[in-house]
Amino acid sequence: MSAITETAAKTVLICEDDTNLRTLVRLALGEQGYRFLEAPDGPSGLELARRTRPDLIVLDLMLPGRSGLDVLRELRGGVDFKDTPVIVISAWSFSDEAAAEAGADRFVAKPFDPDELRDAAIELLEDDRVAD
Amino acid sequence: MLRIERLPRSLSGRLVVGSAVLALLVAVAFGVLVFAVTTLDDATKRERHAKAVSAETLQLERLVLDLDTGLRGFVLSGRKDLLAPWTSAMAALPEQKRKFLELASTTADEQRRARALVTSIDEYATDYAVPVVDIARTSPAAARQEVVSVEGASQLQAVRNVFADFLSKESALAATRTSAAQRRSDEAIAAAVTGLIASALLIVGFGLYLARSIARPAREVAEGATRLAGGDLSTRLVPGGVGEIEELTRAFNEMAERLESSRRELEEQNERLRESEQAKSELVSIVAHELRTPLASVLGFTSVLLQREVTADQRREYLGIIQAQAHRLAALVNDFLDVQHLEEGRLSMAKELVDVGSVVREQTELFAGQSPKHLLDVSLPPTPLPVRGDSNRLAQVVANLLSNAIKYSPSGGVVRVAGKQTDHVIRVSIQDEGVGIPAELQQDIFGKFVRGHATANGIEGSGLGLAISRSLVEAHGGRIDFESAKGRGSTFWFELPSASPD
Repeated sequence: MSAITETAAKTVLICEDDTNLRTLVRLALGEQGYRFLEAPDGPSGLELARRTRPDLIVLDLMLPGRSGLDVLRELRGGVDFKDTPVIVISAWSFSDEAAAEAGADRFVAKPFDPDELRDAAIELLEDDRVAD
Repeated sequence: MLRIERLPRSLSGRLVVGSAVLALLVAVAFGVLVFAVTTLDDATKRERHAKAVSAETLQLERLVLDLDTGLRGFVLSGRKDLLAPWTSAMAALPEQKRKFLELASTTADEQRRARALVTSIDEYATDYAVPVVDIARTSPAAARQEVVSVEGASQLQAVRNVFADFLSKESALAATRTSAAQRRSDEAIAAAVTGLIASALLIVGFGLYLARSIARPAREVAEGATRLAGGDLSTRLVPGGVGEIEELTRAFNEMAERLESSRRELEEQNERLRESEQAKSELVSIVAHELRTPLASVLGFTSVLLQREVTADQRREYLGIIQAQAHRLAALVNDFLDVQHLEEGRLSMAKELVDVGSVVREQTELFAGQSPKHLLDVSLPPTPLPVRGDSNRLAQVVANLLSNAIKYSPSGGVVRVAGKQTDHVIRVSIQDEGVGIPAELQQDIFGKFVRGHATANGIEGSGLGLAISRSLVEAHGGRIDFESAKGRGSTFWFELPSASPD
């Protein structure tokens, strides 16, 4: 159970403009005991990421202010977020290549199965821990 | 320059005129040459004739001299045999006179002088030669006296003088005529040669003109056509040239112009088709995206309910979300279909008499209960606001505008709804105290899927409401517009033509 205690300390930033979907992401990952931060648009997402240095970022692409791809490129451009795992969720099903190119670790198409998102998050955070 | 203006305008006209002028010139030169030859020939004939006249004259003179010799021999010697020359000359004289007169008859003057000569011969013969011989036969002494006298000698001398005079005049006349003919002939030859040289030069010049005005333009047209065929549709010829050549270059340029503009049109059409294809495919993507977002909530929360342990309160909350998002999906599908039908012009609409006042009142009552933060203030005249149209569609417009007014004033406030009639126009306005529309978005606000910064504020919507509302208002013969500034609310209004309640 010590592993669970350790992952419970992980912070997840949810950058998504739809309120219901933010709730859904929280529910999908909720059983893992993560701490959640939420941003409804691109600029506030970037700002929150820089301030709190989350362990995982769940990023929508169609964001007001600045697009998800834009946010991702900006994060990957600096040293602080070079290795932070990022899951891109989008209703634009053809954006997976663009997301990978911008530096996303996973692409999850909307509508998504909550378990699929949860498994992706666990996998990425395990890798992250091993890398440490 | 005047000369050129008189030339025919067309090239073929010029060719015909030029050829005719040249042919005429050559013909004249040849005519002059023929005239020269004829003149020379004529001169030769005259000369021969003059010589013949002289010969006949001399022959005539010899006969007269024979006459005199025979006469003198016979009279002085009395010997009959010595009269032989006289006898033969008398016999030959009439025939010789006839020949002479016949020959010397080219001009009236010559004829007159010849007659005078013959007359003087006749006078000599009748007055002297014949009488003296007659006298000698009867009285030789008297005749001898007569012959040796001065008068006898002078008789012959007179005839000889006439001969000398005739011959000298005849030769002078011949010389004058010959030299005149020679001069005319020389002049004619000079003129003909000059004419022929001038013709030759003109023919060379005409050839050069033909080369310049036909061959060169023809080559330029051929080269232009080759370039055109090679795909360079911007090819143009330098306009100009004479008559048909000018028409040819103009027609060529017009053809090139048409070709170029039709290719441009084709390219533009292709571009438009490509753009419309792109717009269509973009629309499909947008529709898919817009449907997937509520679908993600419906499916996601359904999975949560099926797979996770949730409390009764949570279940109620999630089911509420699922229902709301399913409604949102249904509304989106309706909006998409409305837009599609409006664009294809096959949205069926009733043409009934509608009181816009009661439509506004009903819709306001429907919305009043939904938002406790907003106060809906309705201002309508006591009389109906009649228009001809579809009450459900007009209700849809009012509902869209009311829904926007509430959605885009998230902190609440007063929404003022007003309806009034001015002359034949019915105007409905809906004013909110909300976030307003930023200037950069105002131009596109009636476009499809334009939602301003709605998503940032969690405001739901298809982004189709205003596009549909505008199409519906315009389908009723009206217009819709707004006034707004960021942070200071918006006023949307529409105007419809009023219907006479008949």
